[in-house]
Amino acid sequence: MVFFVIFWRAILPKEFGGTKSDKLLEERNMVNVRGGLAAIAFLCLSGSAWAQAGGDLSVGRKMLLEDNPGELWIDKGKALFHAKRGPRKASLEKCDFGMGPGKLEGAAAKLPRYFADVDKVQDLESRLLTCMVELQGFKREDMIKKAISPGGSSGSDMEALALYITSRSNGMKVDVTLSHQKEYDMYKAGEYLFFRRAGQTDFGCVQCHGEADKRIRLQDLLHMTDKAGAQEVASTWPAYRGAHYVVRTMQWRLYDCFWQMRLPDLAYGSDVSIALTTFLNYRGNGAVINVPGFKR
Amino acid sequence: MNKTGLKWTTLGASALLAAGCATAPDEATTRVMAERMVKESFKASPAHAKRLVQDKSQRICSKIGDAKLTQAEAAEVVRLARASVKYPASGKLVGDWKRGDKLAHNGAGDRIVRGKLEKRKENGGLCQNCHGLAPGEINVGNVGPLLAGWGVQRGNSEAIAKYTYEKIYNAWLYFPCSNMPRLGATGHLTPDQITHLVAYLIDPASPINRR
Repeated sequence: MVFFVIFWRAILPKEFGGTKSDKLLEERNMVNVRGGLAAIAFLCLSGSAWAQAGGDLSVGRKMLLEDNPGELWIDKGKALFHAKRGPRKASLEKCDFGMGPGKLEGAAAKLPRYFADVDKVQDLESRLLTCMVELQGFKREDMIKKAISPGGSSGSDMEALALYITSRSNGMKVDVTLSHQKEYDMYKAGEYLFFRRAGQTDFGCVQCHGEADKRIRLQDLLHMTDKAGAQEVASTWPAYRGAHYVVRTMQWRLYDCFWQMRLPDLAYGSDVSIALTTFLNYRGNGAVINVPGFKR
Repeated sequence: MNKTGLKWTTLGASALLAAGCATAPDEATTRVMAERMVKESFKASPAHAKRLVQDKSQRICSKIGDAKLTQAEAAEVVRLARASVKYPASGKLVGDWKRGDKLAHNGAGDRIVRGKLEKRKENGGLCQNCHGLAPGEINVGNVGPLLAGWGVQRGNSEAIAKYTYEKIYNAWLYFPCSNMPRLGATGHLTPDQITHLVAYLIDPASPINRR
């Protein structure tokens, strides 16, 4: 085991290419503080990735799926959902995710969708934000600031809630419809944005996610212009991220991509994020939801 | 059979229209909507927000789906690329392969976290993210082609040095709209840094040309 820990430490900077300075500093520190189970579990994955030189990582992933630490976030999210919180001391039980107030079964499978009360298309996280502000009286800016947790922390309320609500669609098929004109507009905007190149790397999403069997260093890239790739996106978030020891959401995934593309900070719950999610989830229709997913 | 199918399709389409179903917005409308979203969806200082604005080549190269570049568009991208290339003040296109080796394996630089620019002495070359490099290297990407043996196959003549330099400075000069970033033209790398990468690729002593 000592050997493995040394191996793990040795491999980490390489995996990250010695990058993410400020952002990962806290995460690195956590790696030092936590020698725990998650690190050992994650070793299996790193080890196999190393040994197989970018081959099929699915064996390690399957092993981890059987005992996904992200499960712990589901109970936390459930408790948060029912707890009376915020300045108005209200629970989220009256929050309507599209199936009626408090009805969570299958709700995430149909997101993003149009909500008449805000006259907008919302994804799960922007909808949650609306409910936390409107029902519980939280300040929108405060919630956004805390939405994405530091790596190695116990996670944010938003992350736990997003996972709990999505888990209530586990086993159901992704079924995003474009029946409202604003939904269709959002989908088309998302498609446009997926192919839009900008910044000093000249990247759009498609530069990395437009072909099968591609990798950035050893990291597998999903082929999202293919049905199966889009289905994996649509059915595996929120996911436990091994390298961060926390559950991450789709909003985080998109934020992190834009960061790597050298573009500015993507605002939490922004229209660009909702458009891309609408585009990907619609393309991923039919996938069976199984969260928390597991990601490296 | 065909006729019946057609009839049903027509009937179905009219039924959809009658029900007031959503329809696809046209290309121009989509562009306006999505560009407005880009303006409103990022938290950025005016200096950083500039990164979100597309230049003409990027606009041409953002084809949706399987849409192909027209010949005129490709020619325009090449023309813009030709005009973009700047050479180092020294005129020397081949630098130090050891510095190039380090740069090729450096994937950092110029990222923005919570409004702050990543602090680095210089930007990395990003090569390792997408390209296989020296023979036997494992931790490399495969979005771009394998670069091992670049100089072995091409030699290290002045013409090859110039081609290699220009290819890194603005890849679209030779392959309009390819996935590769225009590393010099967008300002990610300096002309001097690119000379080191040229050396790394063509110098016979460089690990990339190890047999």
